Amino acid sequence: MKGMDRRDFVKATGVAGAAGLAGCIGGDDVGDDGPTVGIIEDRSGNFGLVGTPKWASTRLAIEEINEDGGILGEEIDIFDPDPQSDNTRYQELVEQAIQEYDVDALWAGYSSATREAIRPIINRNDQLYFYTTQYEGGVCDQSIFAVGATARQQLGVVIPYMIDEYGPDAYTIYADYNFGQLSEEWTRIILDENGGNLLGEEAIPLEETDFGSTINRIQEEDPDFIVSMLVGAEHEAFYDQRLSAGITDIPIATSTNMAQGYGHRRLEAPSMENVHCGVNYVEEVDTPASNEYVDAMYDRFDDLEYVNQEGQNNYFSVYMWKEAVEEAGTFDEDAVKEVLQEGMEVDAPEGTIELNGATHHMTHNMRIMRADENHEIDFPGEPEIIEPTFLEEDIGCNLPENPEERQYEPFGPDSPYEDPFPDV
Amino acid sequence: MTEAVEKLRSAFSALNGPNTYGNGRAFWTAFAVGLVAVFAYPMFVGSYSAGQATLYLLYGFLGLSLCFIWGYCGVLSFGQVAFFGVAGYAFGVVTLNFGAEATVPAALAGVVIATVVAAALGYFMFYGGVRDVYVAIVTLAFTLVMYTFMAQTAGREWAIGDARLGGFNGMPGIPNITLGGTSFSGATFYYLVAVLLLVTYLGLRVLVNSRYGRVMVAVREDEDRAEMLGYNVKLVKFVVFTFGGTLAGFSGVLYASWGNFIDPSVFALSFAALPIVWVSVGGRESLIGAVAATFGVQRLDQELAATGSEWALVIIGALLLFVIMFMPKGAVPYLDRYAKAGLGWLREKRGAGSDREVKAVDSD
Amino acid sequence: MDMTEVPAFVDIFSLVNLLLQFLDSFAFLVLAAVGLVVIFGMMGIINLAHGEFILVGAYSTTLAAVAGAPFVVAVVIGTLTTAVFGILLERSILKRFYDRPLDSMVATWAISLMMIQGTRIYFGNSITQASTPFGSINYGPYSYSAYRVALAGVSVAVLIGIYLVFTRTEFGLKARATIQDADTARAMGVNTERIYILTFGFGSALAGLTGALYAPTLSMSPEVGQNFLVEAFVAVVVGGSSVVMGTSLAGILLGAINAFFSNVYSTFWGRIALLAAAILAIRLMPYGITGVIENIRDRRRAGMSLRESLKIPAVTVLLGGGSND
Repeated sequence: MKGMDRRDFVKATGVAGAAGLAGCIGGDDVGDDGPTVGIIEDRSGNFGLVGTPKWASTRLAIEEINEDGGILGEEIDIFDPDPQSDNTRYQELVEQAIQEYDVDALWAGYSSATREAIRPIINRNDQLYFYTTQYEGGVCDQSIFAVGATARQQLGVVIPYMIDEYGPDAYTIYADYNFGQLSEEWTRIILDENGGNLLGEEAIPLEETDFGSTINRIQEEDPDFIVSMLVGAEHEAFYDQRLSAGITDIPIATSTNMAQGYGHRRLEAPSMENVHCGVNYVEEVDTPASNEYVDAMYDRFDDLEYVNQEGQNNYFSVYMWKEAVEEAGTFDEDAVKEVLQEGMEVDAPEGTIELNGATHHMTHNMRIMRADENHEIDFPGEPEIIEPTFLEEDIGCNLPENPEERQYEPFGPDSPYEDPFPDV
Repeated sequence: MTEAVEKLRSAFSALNGPNTYGNGRAFWTAFAVGLVAVFAYPMFVGSYSAGQATLYLLYGFLGLSLCFIWGYCGVLSFGQVAFFGVAGYAFGVVTLNFGAEATVPAALAGVVIATVVAAALGYFMFYGGVRDVYVAIVTLAFTLVMYTFMAQTAGREWAIGDARLGGFNGMPGIPNITLGGTSFSGATFYYLVAVLLLVTYLGLRVLVNSRYGRVMVAVREDEDRAEMLGYNVKLVKFVVFTFGGTLAGFSGVLYASWGNFIDPSVFALSFAALPIVWVSVGGRESLIGAVAATFGVQRLDQELAATGSEWALVIIGALLLFVIMFMPKGAVPYLDRYAKAGLGWLREKRGAGSDREVKAVDSD
Repeated sequence: MDMTEVPAFVDIFSLVNLLLQFLDSFAFLVLAAVGLVVIFGMMGIINLAHGEFILVGAYSTTLAAVAGAPFVVAVVIGTLTTAVFGILLERSILKRFYDRPLDSMVATWAISLMMIQGTRIYFGNSITQASTPFGSINYGPYSYSAYRVALAGVSVAVLIGIYLVFTRTEFGLKARATIQDADTARAMGVNTERIYILTFGFGSALAGLTGALYAPTLSMSPEVGQNFLVEAFVAVVVGGSSVVMGTSLAGILLGAINAFFSNVYSTFWGRIALLAAAILAIRLMPYGITGVIENIRDRRRAGMSLRESLKIPAVTVLLGGGSND
């Protein structure tokens, strides 16, 4: 009997000891009762590279607000675990954030797969949730504020520019999963709307690093430009192979590369030469508001490598939430949501933008971010305000009237679009 | 009356034998205490923590499935998560088509499909002459094929009835298990899983201590000798592997209904390695070790992640390395040895009065 | 593109495309696998930290190259660093696992976890990439990265090098003796402990070389080694435990399959075909190509003619059934 007690005891002390040890290392500043926000963003694993600026930006915004006297006179606590790019872990941590820490607002998740993994939990608990990554678009969900730029906004600025500048013929390569496939559908629509032409397309498995055949196929079709929705570190191998195969003269339009994973800083020049990304923000944007934000970020976080598009989305959405809480006069999530659903103008580092209350999406200052042979960035043309039109105009999503929890697709049954290039 | 007692005693003795750790009175007393703790847990921590603990309990079936085939039959599968995932997806497909009322047939469908897939792969391997460490590599390759395949099923063409497979983004909206109008979540789901796990554990104990269990161990110890003694080694491995698939499939069904979600990451290498870690840490030849280690490792991993520390993964790696280096047969056999030694010492100190107790422990 | 489309072998240039793609795939498969195969084939350890050995090679090469070392020197630095790293790991940890290879899987998995995260803590989420040497090969409307094609030559050289090391050097002789029967080798005066150290160091060096060679072509993040795992394991499955023969034939077979499906259909089908081929190969050749070759060799030794000895394995390979039952 005693022996067994001892066994359990050893086990228990082992776990407790290790957890205690971790407790000393980790640093969550969670108090007891005050308002708390959850920041569940990847700092390790596959999405650590792109998730870290999101975590840092959210922290910075909350810290600034606290220094400024908090919200409604209360200091905001932070619960910021590291989900390690693991969707099951996300589910556990989101549940923990909601049940144990009773968070008043939640910023969580990089990939659309993560968003889908935690969506059942968010919906079940009616948790106020900001999803800030640029994404394929179409999420019409009463609990989610999808404040990143959508594929239609990003491609909508860059593809017309490419057609004007380089010619109508495009070839699309995209990551073979939901985001890539739906963005590819948007590419078709936007090409068609702007008089472009689709020569061919190829879906690339997520873990692929060999692009020899793909490059040959592109050369066979000889497009005026390539549309790339490649994602992740593996796919970055494409840019090196593009360089060493000598096809950097074929310009690339993208919604993913550079703005999130800052390939232009990490990859050897000139592999990103002639790449054009549709962005609402990157740290190179040279305005007073942007510079102030970027300086604050680097002051606060010594190891920070880049302030990416998503980081800024987290940053302004924290302030947007603050304003809504103040207007509502309470942290109550329903009341805050009601205020947000009336729409709101926000002064973000990217410029002044507007929340569309009906669809929970944002207008964005869309820019074309272009890398030259030294990977220096410029932004040809003026920033263009692009509205998130798909859900409101094409689908008729109106969340205050009809609180749905769905994702619509460009060629889905509820959408007015039809594939303009059915043979490709 | 005495007949009933006799029956009970014989049923109890079927639970014990040379193939399980912990057969004496001390073990069962502690087991009962542990059981009370497990069942009291939700009353103290509330529904949310119980919900979280449910995940570790339901992983217990996955741990048991590997412990059963690897620890008792010597078949190291790197692909238990493949059966886990297939069952979870099947459960999702059926429930998304027929609604929450269909969770029982859906669960059955999931378990049956996982069993069939395991049987097919097992037949393919064992009757094709695949042995030893090659089994691990083949099952790993199979799992990675599933990953690549499922990750690209995002298109509308990849749908079974109303259920879209959903590619990398996975399949959301899978309902909770529902029995007779009760939807199981939080603490109720915890109790459901705990009871099922208890029954499975006891059932496996009976099985490994039965005649068939001894044949399994004979195969584990020396395949050629078992063959020579007239046992159909291929058939034994095939049957055991298939049953392992059933258990893993059961785990997958519970997982899909726990998170109301499943995605291809259940086929990823990082997840595929976990059952091996649990079973190695707990002790390959110990069913209770597999369950305890599954719970302990996952719990600790979660606690560390929740701190947000960048050292979390380093610490978990170091702990695993430590356990595997210094407790070669796993934690439970290690603890068992010390527990016995300690117990023996206690008895000796107390004198002759407790002879019977010592004997019971020694017969482990 | 879908499978119903007619393959586009229209001109000689497309055939060149296919050939270059084959060389590229072959090199990647062989180089991804060699380090793993040496450690698995010679020592029976499934090294789940294989990817992180590659990571050590890739990072040290990149850091050296970015610091200004000529590329070849950087590759040598990367290879040697990984060898030293491997030996240190072997001495401190892995030597305890020689008699329990399955536990070594858990140990190496734990090491892999610690190394990936340790790299992230120390170096951050990425480091600046080195530049790819050479330019492109141009033909007709097409071009191909010359460096990736050149790697096919390097991979052949590596295979020949391994062959020479294991057949022509004293170390190789002793290593093979140790692998076959450690006790006898020890009785014959071989210092088996030393052999294990050297073999592990050699396998680590090969993994490091792979990392070094691919460093300029891949994005340098702590997960860079994970890119090689699938190919490495698939090549081991198909090749079996023989380092040179198994790996090179597996590289040829799988490289051809991958190149054909990638080139004619799409990258996706190339990947699926690769994995499907691996599973099929296991059914037909449970011990990989190595098993088939050993079978032929055994039959030859048993006095059959070459023709006769080839006959039965060929039938087994085609119709299934274990060749090593």
